[in-house]
Amino acid sequence: MNHITATVTAIESMDDLTIVSFEAEGQTMRMMGLGLTLPIVVGSPVTLAAKASNIALAKDLKGELSTSNQLECVIESINNGQLLSSIKLRFGDALLESITTRTSALRMGLKAGDVVTTLIKASELSIIKVNG
Amino acid sequence: MIDIKISKHLQGSLSNIEMNVELVIKEHDFVALTGQSGSGKTTLLRILAGLEEAVGTVTVDDELWLAPKKSLPPQQRGIGLVFQDYALFDNMSVEQNLLYANKDKALSRHLLEMTELTGLKERLPRTLSGGQKQRVSLCRALMRRPRLLLMDEPLSALDPQMRTKLQHDILTLHKEFGTTTIMVSHDPSEIYRLASRVIVLDHGKIVQDGSPKDVLLKTQGSQKFSLTGELLDIIKADVIHIAVVAIGQQIVEVVLDEAEAATFKIGERVQVSTKAFSPSLSRLAP
Repeated sequence: MNHITATVTAIESMDDLTIVSFEAEGQTMRMMGLGLTLPIVVGSPVTLAAKASNIALAKDLKGELSTSNQLECVIESINNGQLLSSIKLRFGDALLESITTRTSALRMGLKAGDVVTTLIKASELSIIKVNG
Repeated sequence: MIDIKISKHLQGSLSNIEMNVELVIKEHDFVALTGQSGSGKTTLLRILAGLEEAVGTVTVDDELWLAPKKSLPPQQRGIGLVFQDYALFDNMSVEQNLLYANKDKALSRHLLEMTELTGLKERLPRTLSGGQKQRVSLCRALMRRPRLLLMDEPLSALDPQMRTKLQHDILTLHKEFGTTTIMVSHDPSEIYRLASRVIVLDHGKIVQDGSPKDVLLKTQGSQKFSLTGELLDIIKADVIHIAVVAIGQQIVEVVLDEAEAATFKIGERVQVSTKAFSPSLSRLAP
């Protein structure tokens, strides 16, 4: 599980649905969730989580994407398996991992040092802990 | 309104427990009492029924049921009791069991009709199925039009289909008779369907009190789909790991990354959780 430290910047609620916005490493992130049961307010420090298999990567990204979370990261290392690749990404203090098919990793010509955009849908991002 | 302030020393199998309960229950409410066995649920029910002593007060509207040096006898408390084991009179017919509680024939006819027992009114309890017996107990408990209906795991001996049928009967009767109902139950689906309030007891104290959804929904951070299970195995597959987890009668698999896999031990109790957006539902073949 990938963990990202962030600060709550906005909470919008309607019926049993909530969109929470965050600031992490100077970038904006957004999560969609059902009714908010956590004790958070604007300014709360939180730890966000996303599964490695829910993180997609883009290189030289152009055009518009609906994905709410588009984080600039630097590839630290790549472990190519027979079918899958695990790509370790540097995002500020956090080391993230993305799992993709090996075919995709090779097609994109990914290598350590590349700057890539990691894509995480708002529905696949969770608050795992409220800090402090 | 029922105002309960009681304490009692309980001798448990492992340790002694000081029971301390302060609770106000609104009229017509349907309250589920839940918690581990030995937490004091049944004791609380029996104290309310007057079947067990306790220190403190129980006030129902302006009637004092329990006070220092006073305990209203069970038969004067206006309660209906339903237990798991039916407690019917075996030598009396279904109808006689009802009329024993109160001679009101019109009410007994009405109750038997509502619970589809009219055709069985001449039968003796031992000739009935578990579900039928429990419907008779429920009707008998309502013959005195109780203000307070107390049920101790009334459906736990029944099969799932019969449970659903009786849950419907319980809710219909609770509404029609306008009783205040307190039911001990362990079954989340039963509690969700019937109760408007859930109270969780632990070691004789109230540890949670709220709506069924708030109390029963297990969450992990903002993840609303959360189940508890036992980690059976972690299998390495290419650059990922697959955790095999037993949840109830089922086995599920969860993909882990390498760092995560290293933090778990086989045999550990684990929480499997995901966002409510991820799982899919599909109908089971009948």
